[in-house]
Amino acid sequence: MIEVKQLYFKYPTMKDYVLKNINIKIELGQIVAIMGSNGSGKTTLIKHFNGLLKPNEGYVKVFGKDTQDESVAALSRKVGLVFQNPDHQIFSDTVWNEVTFALKNFGFEEEVIKKRVKWALEFFNLIQYKDTSPLLLSGGEKKRLCLASILAWDPDYIVLDEPTVGQDFLQKEKLREVIKMLITRNKTVIIVSHDIEFIWLLQPRIILLSNGEVVKDDVCANVFKDDASIDKCGVIKPQFVELFDHLAPLLPHPPLDVLEARSTFLKLMKKGG
Amino acid sequence: MTPLIKFIDFNFSYLDSPTPILKNINLEIKEGEFVLLVGPSGCGKSTLLRCINGLIPHLYSGVYKGKVIVDGEQVSEKNISTLATKVGFVFQNPENQIFMFTVEKDIVFGLENIGVDKEEIGRRLEWALKILNIEHLRYRAPYELSDGQKQRVAIAGTLVMHPKILILDEPTSLLDPKTAYEFISTLKELNRSIGITIIVVEHRIDLLPKVADRMIVMDGGQIVFDGPFKDIIKEKNLHLYGVTVPPIISLQNTLSESGVNLPGYSLDVRSFSEMIKKEVFRND
Amino acid sequence: MFWIAEGLIYRRQDSVFHTIDPRIKLLISMMLFFLSLVSSTIVEFSIILVLIFFIGALSKTLKRMVRTFVFSLSFLAMIFVINILVGYDIMFSIIISLRFISVVSSTSIFFLTSSPDELELVMKSFYLPYDLIFAFVTAVRFVPVIMLDAIQILDSQRSRGLEIEKGNFIKRIKNYIPVLIPLIVQAIIRSEELAEAMESRAYGFSKKKTSYYSLHLRKRDYFAATVAICFMIVFIYAIYFLHI
Ligand SMILES: Nc1ncnc2c1ncn2[C@@H]1O[C@H](COP(=O)(O)OP(=O)(O)OP(=O)(O)O)[C@@H](O)[C@H]1O
Ligand SMILES: Nc1ncnc2c1ncn2[C@@H]1O[C@H](COP(=O)(O)OP(=O)(O)OP(=O)(O)O)[C@@H](O)[C@H]1O
Ligand SMILES: [Mg+2]
Ligand SMILES: [Mg+2]
Repeated sequence: MIEVKQLYFKYPTMKDYVLKNINIKIELGQIVAIMGSNGSGKTTLIKHFNGLLKPNEGYVKVFGKDTQDESVAALSRKVGLVFQNPDHQIFSDTVWNEVTFALKNFGFEEEVIKKRVKWALEFFNLIQYKDTSPLLLSGGEKKRLCLASILAWDPDYIVLDEPTVGQDFLQKEKLREVIKMLITRNKTVIIVSHDIEFIWLLQPRIILLSNGEVVKDDVCANVFKDDASIDKCGVIKPQFVELFDHLAPLLPHPPLDVLEARSTFLKLMKKGG
Repeated sequence: MTPLIKFIDFNFSYLDSPTPILKNINLEIKEGEFVLLVGPSGCGKSTLLRCINGLIPHLYSGVYKGKVIVDGEQVSEKNISTLATKVGFVFQNPENQIFMFTVEKDIVFGLENIGVDKEEIGRRLEWALKILNIEHLRYRAPYELSDGQKQRVAIAGTLVMHPKILILDEPTSLLDPKTAYEFISTLKELNRSIGITIIVVEHRIDLLPKVADRMIVMDGGQIVFDGPFKDIIKEKNLHLYGVTVPPIISLQNTLSESGVNLPGYSLDVRSFSEMIKKEVFRND
Repeated sequence: MFWIAEGLIYRRQDSVFHTIDPRIKLLISMMLFFLSLVSSTIVEFSIILVLIFFIGALSKTLKRMVRTFVFSLSFLAMIFVINILVGYDIMFSIIISLRFISVVSSTSIFFLTSSPDELELVMKSFYLPYDLIFAFVTAVRFVPVIMLDAIQILDSQRSRGLEIEKGNFIKRIKNYIPVLIPLIVQAIIRSEELAEAMESRAYGFSKKKTSYYSLHLRKRDYFAATVAICFMIVFIYAIYFLHI
């Protein structure tokens, strides 16, 4: 479990706190989305989960251990962070070595490394590139590679910063599948994203941030009912929620996806006709 | 009316690319159009845009066949700087397109380069600050701006050149939803008020109904669909071309596949709801 | 990481001193620099330092100037110790240290109070080639950006178990490879994007480039320059002819 209690944080160069009185608990087996305007502190918050940043006040505990007392490496073993820009981490000569990097750092056995890397590359359809330079991959492939290089060591928490930026529909679908798969294995996926329709399809728990404060922390359906909060956090409604607002008495609840919406409307039209 | 941009039997590949990146492109864009360009990652959208303002072939060389004509002149025969007065280009990463230490200085950068006189620079600067609503940011440094503000400054820096065409390559991908929405509305405003032709690559299509007039879908370096936005967005297999179709549109598509005859086709949630209400209550 | 550069990086501030023409600020800065070099007694250095602190107060940059001081303190201690070890007497070592302080702080006066834009204008007024000026300006502009890149890259690799400080000397040097390579790649990507953006805005269009900004000396600039020059003459006169 990740537990954040009364967390205050400011960057040494800045006057004001970037995170203020954050209190959250994240258990295993959840999807959690963190949303909020540009500069609201999302990236800063997730960097606390593996100890890259340490609170000025309050604490962050990962599986009961205070991040102040643990090394980033030890925490990362449990909490894998994938940052937004793949070019910020890719450095190896081959795709294969890019994935082995972390496993070597964590001191896995040679045999285990081989098995894990093979699994991760196959899972993300990257195995055919194993001997090519990662710098030659396309944007979408690089993103997948970064995710593979983290999943290879099987962390319990997977934290993704803006995973859908620059991704096309098919790549986003693939990502959604991966997330779903991780949940069935009792992992927790934490996503920072501006992509509302993508988030709506996942139906996660949503934590809304504004100016470094948690404005709302609730299940997806409830969060999007709260007009004032989402407006404050620079978020707009998914289309199906807006649709529900317009047609409230006709629909039981906002449709979760197109298929559900279709059957609802088919019934509705039949009843009418 | 002669088209403002014209691609004739155009093919291009970068020097180090084994296969052609753009294949047999024939395209005409008229003055004042608002064009949305989409397609899967790597299909050549950015490459196509670079051909319009001359980055290709002047900055990126390669195998260049056919013609690209912008405002009556062939791009390959003009230099990029001359084209900069006809075509403004806004890139994805706001950080890398602001060079100067104050917003004001950055906006006049292009005008100084083409040798516009001081009074005129002053006039255009005021105009651009006003039209983009960034007068209050005038003396700020780039690191004192949010990403959304940076993108506005970037537009201002190209608008002062009085271009006829404004090109934007994934301009909102780093912006939060509300800022992105406002940004797109600003584009529409510009398109209406000064009649500037806009071509934008954008993944979040849900921001664009009511804004774009025309939609072009590319795949593998070719144009596969091209037509009025409201027609193309109805195409069945758009998702196979990497397009994230807004849910409200997918819904109408599947409903019509299931044999439901809706009286019309709505691009946004509000008008769709109105339509449904009428339909349901008419039958009561 | 940022605070190291604090003492040299310009921040916009309102003060009388900031509004002086950058050429005059440069003149004052260089003059104090020169005087620091020719001074040789504690009294002389005291006068110079008082003056520097006065300007620091006037321009509201005193705090950051002091921070640079603190930062250079270790350096200072080193100079002092080396001097003693080499066999100079204490007095001489103190003088050398004072000279170091005044040299550093007199240069920082200019950089703390002049924006890179002003620096650009100064360079232009010396008729330096525009390409050179522009290269310089963008380099300065992107220092903080590249620093942020470095932080982000380090964070990414630490999240993958990299422990920079671990291992023996050779291992530690090797530890930097996963940080340096992305940093270089990133710099290349940035410069390519920058080139695209510059070209798209008519960089290098023609020789008839105009300049929207130009420097004009105003009354207060002449006044500041006069005071500065008078001071220098009096000071040098005092050193060499009155032997104070
Ligand atoms: N290394 C740093 N040093 C100083 N300030 C920083 C640093 N990193 C971020 N900040 C500031 O902290 C605030 C929060 O930044 P953060 O990156 O966490 O926002 P975010 O919610 O992730 O935004 P975005 O949606 O744009 O990614 C911003 O005001 C930012 O300028
Ligand atoms: N400077 C370059 N040199 C060589 N090849 C390039 C260059 N830029 C792009 N390419 C290649 O050209 C193809 C098309 O790239 P382009 O950037 O135009 O795609 P895109 O449609 O804009 O994709 P995305 O949605 O990911 O931005 C890709 O295969 C890419 O690898
Ligand atoms: Mg962020
Ligand atoms: Mg592109």
